[in-house]
Amino acid sequence: MEYVLSLAPLFIKMAIVVGILLLLPLPLTWLERKIAAHIQQRPGPMRVGWHGLLQPLADAIKLLTKEDHIPAQADRMLFAIAPVVALVPPFLVFVAIPFGEPVQIFGTTVTLSLADLNVGLLFILAASGIGVFGTILAGWASNSKYAVLGSLRSIAQMISYEIPMGFSVIGVVMLANSMQLSQIVAAQEGLWNIVVQPIGFFVFFVAGLAEAQRIPFDLPEAEGDLGAGYHTEYSGIRFSLFMLAEYLVLVFLAFLNVLLFFGGWLGGPAFLPPFLWLFIKVGFFIWVFMWLRFTFPRYRYDQLMTIGWKVLLPLSLLNILVSGFLML
Amino acid sequence: MARTGVKQSSWIGRVFFADLLAGLRLTLGYMMSKTVTHHYPDHEKWVPYQRHRGHHFMNTNEAGEVNCVACGLCSKICPCNCITVIPFENDQGDRRPKVFDIDLARCLYCGLCEDACPADAIKLGQEYEVSTTNRATLKVHLEDLIAAPRKSEDGGDIKPAKLDSAGSQHSILRPESDAGRDWWSRVRRD
Repeated sequence: MEYVLSLAPLFIKMAIVVGILLLLPLPLTWLERKIAAHIQQRPGPMRVGWHGLLQPLADAIKLLTKEDHIPAQADRMLFAIAPVVALVPPFLVFVAIPFGEPVQIFGTTVTLSLADLNVGLLFILAASGIGVFGTILAGWASNSKYAVLGSLRSIAQMISYEIPMGFSVIGVVMLANSMQLSQIVAAQEGLWNIVVQPIGFFVFFVAGLAEAQRIPFDLPEAEGDLGAGYHTEYSGIRFSLFMLAEYLVLVFLAFLNVLLFFGGWLGGPAFLPPFLWLFIKVGFFIWVFMWLRFTFPRYRYDQLMTIGWKVLLPLSLLNILVSGFLML
Repeated sequence: MARTGVKQSSWIGRVFFADLLAGLRLTLGYMMSKTVTHHYPDHEKWVPYQRHRGHHFMNTNEAGEVNCVACGLCSKICPCNCITVIPFENDQGDRRPKVFDIDLARCLYCGLCEDACPADAIKLGQEYEVSTTNRATLKVHLEDLIAAPRKSEDGGDIKPAKLDSAGSQHSILRPESDAGRDWWSRVRRD
């Protein structure tokens, strides 16, 4: 019994995190459409609910009631599991993300994370790397030219950008002497990493955009030239699982940017609880991602590879070198 | 806000992505600017300029008689043959239309009938909400044309309006006041 009771907080936290993550894409789609609209001097969705706030719900109902279509020659099993494979890693990543320092609730200390792993950063990078399998399987199983092209692009892109992304955080790890995310945040007390690691942040930010497959690096799903890329053949609920995964990757990248380079929950005004301050920063980064999306055109495929291998990779190596010298 | 001049040759600008930043600055400005979309069926309605070619109407003289002399020029020039004119001689011995029908389903609102008319009779006005679910109502007769509203004086404004879903007809908007808003001033032109 005592064993079960000791597990209870964990399960409660898990339920909260999973619930929030499942619901989060609803406001995010609304936000994305609103930001797109206002950049283009339109009001965006206005008619369903106050300023279109219920529009995502209407969209969700539409997606759920659509025909679940599987192409004739598709590999049915892979086709069915691909969206799930794409969806699991973003959830997995949130296991290791801390949302704040431990707090006192009803006299017991509750840590604001599911598991503050001491190899947290490594785990996050590894888990997010699995996400590409969903894309590969989806493209392969669809038996469609566009989907295969999209997934081929996505494999190349993921491999190219995972390397600079991994290198760019090494500077942060060196500064904190730890891969535990709470330690990394604690090491930024007084001075955020963005000040000492601007190049690292730049590389991480750009590689993160590419990992999330967002404009200007959204080649795997380039609407204009590939139909919709790897999820061309998906419809209804399976398609919405891909969209869900995409938004969750966006959120987790915003979290990582804040935790690694912008001091996590540190440095907020005194009246704000630290985790709210963290969420404000994360919200800011999500807004920046969307702002970028509706500003920039898409890079050409060779430009994408050039940026990855000839710019970001040397920059991240240089960053490791320079921060190593400075720390000595 | 003027576009920030980014010189292609300036390597400092290229290293710090001055062109990308200029683009971001521009879109940020747009994000903060007001929207120019008309909230058409819900809150406001655009009254077109007087030159707009919308609904048809028939002018009458001081005595209340139609100006039309049933010469049939409009039906001849009409590129889609949507005007039917049948003349008759009234009590004063004037030539007047017995039938003057316009098939709005075929009309392309080119305004050639207006140009061809020698008697200043058939005109196009500023009403544009003529959609219906019944094709038969798209055939307008002489009485409808005489009863139709004339050209409105206040063209070019956006008027506050409401969606009237209670009436038998679909979504008729009725402007509530004369105060329009100058929506052109909101448009960013850079």
